[in-house]
Amino acid sequence: MSVEKRIFKIPVGPQHPALKEFEHFVFTVDGERVIDVGFRIGYTHRGIEKLAESKTYIQNLYLCERICGICSAAHQGCYAQTVEELADITAPPRGTYIRTLIWELERIHSHLLWLGVAAHEIGFDTLFMLVWRDREVVMDLLEMISGNRVNYAMSTIGGVRRDISDELKHKILKGLDILEERTKYYKEVCMKEQTILARAANVGILTREQALKLNAVGPTARASGVDVDLRRDDPYGAYDEVPFNVIVYDTCDVLARVLVRVDETFECINMCRWLLENLPEGDIRTKFARKIAENEVVGRVEAPRGELFYYIKSNGTDKPERLKVRTPTLANILPVCEMLKGGYIADIPIVLAGIDPCFACMDRALFIDENSEKKWVWSREQLRIYSIKWYKEHGNEVVRERWKQ
Amino acid sequence: METIELLILLLKFIVFPGAIFCIAYGFFLEWFDRKLYAKFQNRIGPLLTGPKGLLQPFADFVKLLAKEDITPVGADKLGFTLTPLLTVAVSLFTLLFIPIHSLTGVLSLPGDVLLVLFISTVFGLLIMFAGYFSGNRFSMVGTERTGLQFVGYEIPFALSVISVAAAARSLEITNIVNYQVNILGLPLIVFTPIAFAIYLISALAKLEKIPFDIPEAETEIVGGWQVEYSGKKLAFFRLATDLKMVFVSGLAAALFLGGPYGPSIPGLEPIFYTIWFIIKTLIVMFILSNLRSLFARYRIDQVVHGFWKYMVPLAVLQILIVEGLIFMGVI
Amino acid sequence: MPLPGAMEKELIKLIAKKPATEMYPFIKVEPPEGYRGKISFDIEKCIGCGLCAKDCPAGAIEMVEDERTKLKKRPKFIYSRCLFCAQCEESCPRKAIKLTKEFELADYNKEAMVIDV
Ligand code: SF4
Ligand code: SF4
Repeated sequence: MSVEKRIFKIPVGPQHPALKEFEHFVFTVDGERVIDVGFRIGYTHRGIEKLAESKTYIQNLYLCERICGICSAAHQGCYAQTVEELADITAPPRGTYIRTLIWELERIHSHLLWLGVAAHEIGFDTLFMLVWRDREVVMDLLEMISGNRVNYAMSTIGGVRRDISDELKHKILKGLDILEERTKYYKEVCMKEQTILARAANVGILTREQALKLNAVGPTARASGVDVDLRRDDPYGAYDEVPFNVIVYDTCDVLARVLVRVDETFECINMCRWLLENLPEGDIRTKFARKIAENEVVGRVEAPRGELFYYIKSNGTDKPERLKVRTPTLANILPVCEMLKGGYIADIPIVLAGIDPCFACMDRALFIDENSEKKWVWSREQLRIYSIKWYKEHGNEVVRERWKQ
Repeated sequence: METIELLILLLKFIVFPGAIFCIAYGFFLEWFDRKLYAKFQNRIGPLLTGPKGLLQPFADFVKLLAKEDITPVGADKLGFTLTPLLTVAVSLFTLLFIPIHSLTGVLSLPGDVLLVLFISTVFGLLIMFAGYFSGNRFSMVGTERTGLQFVGYEIPFALSVISVAAAARSLEITNIVNYQVNILGLPLIVFTPIAFAIYLISALAKLEKIPFDIPEAETEIVGGWQVEYSGKKLAFFRLATDLKMVFVSGLAAALFLGGPYGPSIPGLEPIFYTIWFIIKTLIVMFILSNLRSLFARYRIDQVVHGFWKYMVPLAVLQILIVEGLIFMGVI
Repeated sequence: MPLPGAMEKELIKLIAKKPATEMYPFIKVEPPEGYRGKISFDIEKCIGCGLCAKDCPAGAIEMVEDERTKLKKRPKFIYSRCLFCAQCEESCPRKAIKLTKEFELADYNKEAMVIDV
């Protein structure tokens, strides 16, 4: 076989079992080695930013929450916090503490979920099942606090919507103990199990320089030795009072990303304990007038996946004039391509999963034609007509060519 | 007289212990494996079809038979259709050599250990063809991986079987079983534990189970070589996998665990032997299920590397040990 | 070479353990206190102010004519659109809306998924 023949393109996505959401990557492979990566984002574009302009501030709480299913509290909290700044009100301390508690509980749930997914990507289904079984503990806690497992709807503009009773506090503390014990066990497994080490150590390298240059965020950056964490660098919520450590590893591989997340889970558990024990008395929310005078504000939080960024502009009505979201996955998508180059096909899923991608929250982008760099925005109808025309002309050749490759 | 003998032979081929029994037992093993795998993961596993989900594998099979069967444009039609059938046929054929209801299999020839080894390599080849004929990129990668993995596990597998044959000084399965039952009085695993371990590990690779499910790794290459197969063809592949499970565990029982021999009431040997066969294969299956729930999937280079670096020397060592034991007159 | 298989002990323990799977729907699981499920609406308390409809993010509430309330209007909940955020419960000045624990709401008929008293 000649050299060129062995080089072929493997599409991963838009639908692929390793991706839980739709996204398109094209890998140019030489045998089992990946030599180039191309990607195309935008498959889960939902028009949320535009929709937000036609809804009131209150309604947008629940819209923003639904940008991401896993870090819904981070989105909602960030939105609420940004609007509070916009309207120049502050949430009372108890409200801020409870909001922070939800954020941290959510981080536990997100990191455990990620650990399970990572295990699944390397074919370790037993670990996957067991981690997810234990994740139920924190899901149940969140359900008890907020009334739902996934979209907690806890934050509101000016505080939080539900209080935490003493009885609930005890339940949460008990749940945290179970979680701590189990997480300890999983950390041990991850450090000891040879098959995991074989697949995670020295895989998907992203050096510190690359991470800085390509603007990696969150655990991905921290696993590459970049010491960034918004909770410490730009404290919001109750983070200026809670004691915690920022976990940084510098081995730059998938294993480091695992360990950063597992260790962060311990930190989260301790933070939750501290928050519950030092919960101040008082109101949980302040009043919020529905209309906001002209203003614009940028708000940032450290979501489980990294820095989440909201920009909101008000115009004196009860609806925002512009709402812009930058999710951590978008920032991490260039670093992940760098990680994949030079690796094996077998490493694609675990490396991709390594940034804990959440494509649905990322896709708020324009279509960009790769070749001409021309931006285009099409209505569905135009696209349909175009595609019918195109396939009439090229249809058969394309199918045949695809098979040939 | 002759017709009756012929009839009995035919019954042996088709009903017991031939095709029908093996297929039914294959489904049972799949259920056992799935149930255990679920247990290890604190799940329930198959539950609703039949008592405790016993009929689930069969139901899956029937369901797949009824599904739409697609042959992709880019596939090689003949090869694509033929490979699943061949795979099932080959698996069934090898099973005829496995002693189930008596100390000899339905078929028994001098040197059949080699024949069985040879046919079992055909499994791997057929899988490669299956991937190659479907003309899909993922299948191509799967095929490449199957080939590479094949290079890895086939030699240790053969060596582990050879070490048993060396101990019994025979290349006939019946003789090896007889040797354990009548001459040694002990199952050979006592003297060849390393070979048994290697056998099991390469068997996992042969069956494409975790940690060696690389050729069909769902999260990496979407099912690999079997990605284009659907409906009847997929059903046949799954059936073949079940049959391979029977084969692998049955061969392990025959070579290492003293075959289907066990205490029995004179006159009722076929029944008791079958029961012993089932018990022994279930033990093997238990170990296999346990192993597959214990690991993450290896990468293909690690597999080839590991098999050659660790398994082959160990297998050779085992053969040397066996020779030494024979030399000292222990066995 | 250190041997793989760090989880073996746990696995052996699991064989004897009861599965973690809940046998739903054969055995029902009770949601916790404060669960946000199907809406229950008390027309007696409602004054027909329409605040609930104004704040609903999903457009699940329509105001329809009704003689019984003070402002001659009442909300009609189309709960196939509802996202169970409980904003209506919060917005209502008269506490006429409550979210209950009922969560099995699927229906073959979309028209039937309405709360209309
Ligand atoms: S719970 Fe939320 S979505 Fe449902 S009716 Fe009330 S406000 Fe609307
Ligand atoms: S907010 Fe309450 S009182 Fe007003 S219309 Fe709705 S249910 Fe009736």
